[in-house]
Amino acid sequence: MTLVLELVQQALLQVGFVDGLAEFVRPSTFAEVVLRGLSKAAIYVMIAAGLTLIFGLLGVLNFAHGALTMIGAYLGGLVMVLTVAQGTGPWARLALFFVAMAVVFGLLSALGGSIEVSLIRPLYDRPPIYQILLTFGVTLVLEELARIVVGFYGLQPLAEWQAALGTIPAFLETSQSLGPVSVRGLALFEILLGALTVAAIWGFLTRTRYGLFIRAGSEDSEMAEALGIDVRRVFTVVFALGAGVAGVAGTLLMWDPVWGASVPLAAESLLPAFVVVIIGGLGTFRGTVAGGLIVGLVDATTTWWFQNVVVEWTWLPEVAIFMILVVALIVRPQGIYGVEEVGGH
Amino acid sequence: MALLDVADIETYYGESHVLEGVSLSVERGDVVALMGRNGVGKTTTLRSILQLTPPRSGSVTYDGTDLVGRRTHEVAEMGVGWIPEDRRIFSQLSVAENLRVSVPDGDDVAEALSIAFETFPILEQRRDQAAGTLSGGQQQMLALGRGLVGDNDLLLVDEPSEGLAPQIVADVADALAAAASETTMLLVEQNLPLALDLADRFYVLDNGRVVDEGDADAVSADDDRLRRYLSA
Repeated sequence: MTLVLELVQQALLQVGFVDGLAEFVRPSTFAEVVLRGLSKAAIYVMIAAGLTLIFGLLGVLNFAHGALTMIGAYLGGLVMVLTVAQGTGPWARLALFFVAMAVVFGLLSALGGSIEVSLIRPLYDRPPIYQILLTFGVTLVLEELARIVVGFYGLQPLAEWQAALGTIPAFLETSQSLGPVSVRGLALFEILLGALTVAAIWGFLTRTRYGLFIRAGSEDSEMAEALGIDVRRVFTVVFALGAGVAGVAGTLLMWDPVWGASVPLAAESLLPAFVVVIIGGLGTFRGTVAGGLIVGLVDATTTWWFQNVVVEWTWLPEVAIFMILVVALIVRPQGIYGVEEVGGH
Repeated sequence: MALLDVADIETYYGESHVLEGVSLSVERGDVVALMGRNGVGKTTTLRSILQLTPPRSGSVTYDGTDLVGRRTHEVAEMGVGWIPEDRRIFSQLSVAENLRVSVPDGDDVAEALSIAFETFPILEQRRDQAAGTLSGGQQQMLALGRGLVGDNDLLLVDEPSEGLAPQIVADVADALAAAASETTMLLVEQNLPLALDLADRFYVLDNGRVVDEGDADAVSADDDRLRRYLSA
């Protein structure tokens, strides 16, 4: 037993575990990791919010959600590339970003509403596998369309769109000092935008009559219909809203060099979104916020450890995210705030 | 003209033929009891009226308008309220939110809620509590309250006393009597004394067919005429 403990101790010393731990718990390092975690959480929540709203009410697992995020990234990038000139100042760029966000939200909402009405609505009475296959098919179509369009304009579909990345204001691209902590401006902007998105969706769900209809319909759509709520229209509005939020998340990712506007963004954003909603509880918005925070903070922590202590192997943090998913499925398969059954028609 | 006229409806669940030519009518201001053993089609009759389970043939006319083919929310907007058998309150919403959902667009929400709170003061005390945490009796009161605030001209009430303690049944009976003075009601109820006490007229269903009907005053709970069908 003593021999085993000594071997473990030696192994930890060899990978610099003790030194790494000492560095990790330094207030400035820890605060930086937490801020990076919050910025990742903000992105995950923004991507997953639409997915969970749609599943909560409609009971539809929308596999096209990542593709809608990817379209949002390209459309947001298009607006920025067309409107930002060499001499456009940083604050004007920021203002144009919000214009791009509004345009993308409108266009993606219209696209999402059209998909729900024309493709998904006829399948509500069929088993869930029909909706899964359909939305997966929509993903393939949207990805191929994006590949064709992007290729036509001479852009590399697999690499991040550099021209869109280049429209970021300087103060978001550089590191900002918050006391002893140094964080990239974009991370702070992502935290701010994520918090605003959560507040806006939360306010819509809890403070408006339509939000009340959505929450009632999520619990029992037949009863809601019998009380005079046009549940079919609520379904369309929620699908449109979910698609719009996915697009807004894509617009933000267009500026993030870790993500960027590219065709693979569709799959890259869908997988963590699924992890977040499963950990939080399928169909619950507060669960998505909690799941996003957990995944974001674990992602940032493991990223720091693997990059600074163990080995620079950048995809290992992604493995950690999926390990959380495995543990969550074993310990609490319904998720943090999940209920046994949601949605339905 | 009757407020509700159901004529010869045939309703199926898949291939299962549940209602085989049910006809009934409800005059404005009346309480009509729909009685019968479990599984004879009482709840399905209410679902057919609401178009939740639309009949394959026959007609459902409400206030002169044919409801068959309309969507359920349209039927509800026309003033047909439903208080279902298993309450079906929204458990994650608060008591007040459950009531607000039922208030039609354009109506004064505070005024509508006060109707439910006057009838069931306990609901006002628990207005911010999640409805799923209420007792069974309180949940039934909430379900009834939801029907009361809905500005309905016709209430379809399904087994309101089922599974409740006797004292709660008395409260529910009082609430139903109060509601009956304001609105027309089609009441599915296996508690015969309660049903006959409230009803002006009754129908008895057996195996998806109307097998008896008449004035409630003309029968009693231990009447052989009813015992034959209800095992009362």
